Amino acid sequence: MTRLRPHISLLLLLLILALLPFLVGLLDGQSPASMLAGEAGRSKFIQGLMIEIFILAIYAVSYDLILGVAGILSFGHAMFFAVGAYATGILLKSAGWSLGPTLIAVVGLGLAQAILFGVVLARVSGITFALVTLGLAYVFDILIKTRELGEYTGGDVGLQGIPRPDFLNPSDERLRFYYLMLVFAALVYLLYRRFVDSPTGRVCIAARENEERARMLGFNTILFKFVALTMASISAALAGMAYALFQPIVSPEVAGLGFTVEGLLMVLMGGIGALSGPMLGAALFKFMDFYFNKWFGESASFMVGAIYVLIVLFLPYGLVGTWRMRRRDMLAGWEELLERWRKMMG
Amino acid sequence: MSIILETRNLRKEFGALVAVDDVSIRVEKGSFHAIIGPNGAGKTTLFNLLSGNLPPTRGHIFYKEQDITRLPAHRMAHIGIGRSFQITNIFPNLTVFENVRLAAQAVGKDNFRLLSPASRFRRYEERAWEVIRQVGLDERAFMLARTLPHGDQRKLELGMLLAPDPELLLLDEPTAGMAAEQVPELMSLIRRVRETGDKTIMLVEHNMNVVMQASDVITVMHQGAVLAEGTPAEIAANEIVQKAYLGGLYT
Ligand SMILES: Nc1ncnc2c1ncn2[C@@H]1O[C@H](COP(=O)(O)OP(=O)(O)OP(=O)(O)O)[C@@H](O)[C@H]1O
Ligand SMILES: [Mg+2]
Repeated sequence: MTRLRPHISLLLLLLILALLPFLVGLLDGQSPASMLAGEAGRSKFIQGLMIEIFILAIYAVSYDLILGVAGILSFGHAMFFAVGAYATGILLKSAGWSLGPTLIAVVGLGLAQAILFGVVLARVSGITFALVTLGLAYVFDILIKTRELGEYTGGDVGLQGIPRPDFLNPSDERLRFYYLMLVFAALVYLLYRRFVDSPTGRVCIAARENEERARMLGFNTILFKFVALTMASISAALAGMAYALFQPIVSPEVAGLGFTVEGLLMVLMGGIGALSGPMLGAALFKFMDFYFNKWFGESASFMVGAIYVLIVLFLPYGLVGTWRMRRRDMLAGWEELLERWRKMMG
Repeated sequence: MSIILETRNLRKEFGALVAVDDVSIRVEKGSFHAIIGPNGAGKTTLFNLLSGNLPPTRGHIFYKEQDITRLPAHRMAHIGIGRSFQITNIFPNLTVFENVRLAAQAVGKDNFRLLSPASRFRRYEERAWEVIRQVGLDERAFMLARTLPHGDQRKLELGMLLAPDPELLLLDEPTAGMAAEQVPELMSLIRRVRETGDKTIMLVEHNMNVVMQASDVITVMHQGAVLAEGTPAEIAANEIVQKAYLGGLYT
């Protein structure tokens, strides 16, 4: 029963998300036929917002796998995402590749950057590693914006005019895109959950808690961290690919430190190490970003900042992390109460 | 009689300090070999060298006639060397059970099964339960390790050493900080482990009663160097040892 419950709530959430486009459309008086035809309306708009959230959620949860599960401090996560986005854009546009080979190339590049980070991690750790990743990501950021490469990357302006396959057109086939991203995000989450509970994932957690001891037990900890890095890097690169396929323009901002910081905020708001938490954090972040800008204009970023500070101050384990802890305390409290009654009666 | 572990002129310097000073010892397979000496004599440092935790400045370590001087720490468990720590070294935020289960998993072949739940690998869970019962922590198996009282943390430390079933056990003051009445229980457990499994035990210990009773051989260290070596009776009768360490006890 306890094993089943999380699956039920997950299934429920997936069901709601699967019906969401139609629920929104119905509330707005749009006919299902018109929605399936991809006609404009609130449903289509919400689908677009949710697609962005699914992509950000994968970005955030992949960052959480590194930070929260494996305990590796990295400031290069934006690069993991941007490599996928730019590779997709350049391969589809400048190289004229089709989607299949591009997908394989993005996975390959994800693996390559994990190897790059892994080689660094084998030599330095802790804050030194974090600074090296910061440097690597910075070099990549500069590279994208150089004028010499502008022909391919679009420089400061961003990469535009990426040809997309018709069946994934972000406007005409938005509903299909929506379901694809929903499935993608759900798969990444399920895969990560399995990983965290696997023999390999358990060692990652042990190494996060006490690396020296894990090594003395016989685990070559760097290999386990490398596995986590690889999973995170490939999923972030794939999220970047989805971003490049969906957005009209690949903005150079996704390669900047700012985007890494945003990922960090999503992780911390949702709860570090909680997997589902950072995904929720991504949704919260996107909603705040969008609606606050709409309602409050200029002052929106201050409000986002304030809410972030409040969450981190009062809920140090983030929304999901704190909720889990409360629930455990409550269960312990109930047990104690029952025990007391048992004694009184016995 | 075969030698399971041997060091030749093993040396460790920390800057100007010589913590282990050309130590050459031989440990017989199946023996109970104690290392004693005053605080700062270099006993823990010697263990750190043997377990690959620190690289020696000079000298060699042989295990079953293989040179293991440069073997990385994470290989030791796989060749049958296990150690426990003087200062409790556990995973504080994991349960007692998970601490021991990890120790059992480490020497198995399923470490890179990325997508199967760890609970599917029954033999590690069974081994963990066996050891947890052996050290008497079965009632606390699902407590977080950091919430255990100190004495139980020492038992957990021992459980993590036993779980992979090592041939050579390096025990660094396993009774450190334990309540006096718990010490005999722990020592009889260690002796049982040795007898039932044909294990070799190296023990660092300050409690002379324990050492004199349990050991076949005692090596006395002083300022990094070996001061004397012999049976408990020989050590008790040794005048140099008496002066340097025992201070008139055990005559
Ligand atoms: N990592 C280190 N760096 C510098 N000095 C060290 C280090 N480890 C140990 N020492 C020094 O080496 C000497 C030997 O220490 P060690 O811990 O091996 O002694 P010990 O025999 O285990 O003592 P105790 O009985 O107190 O545990 C001490 O002077 C100690 O300060
Ligand atoms: Mg010591």
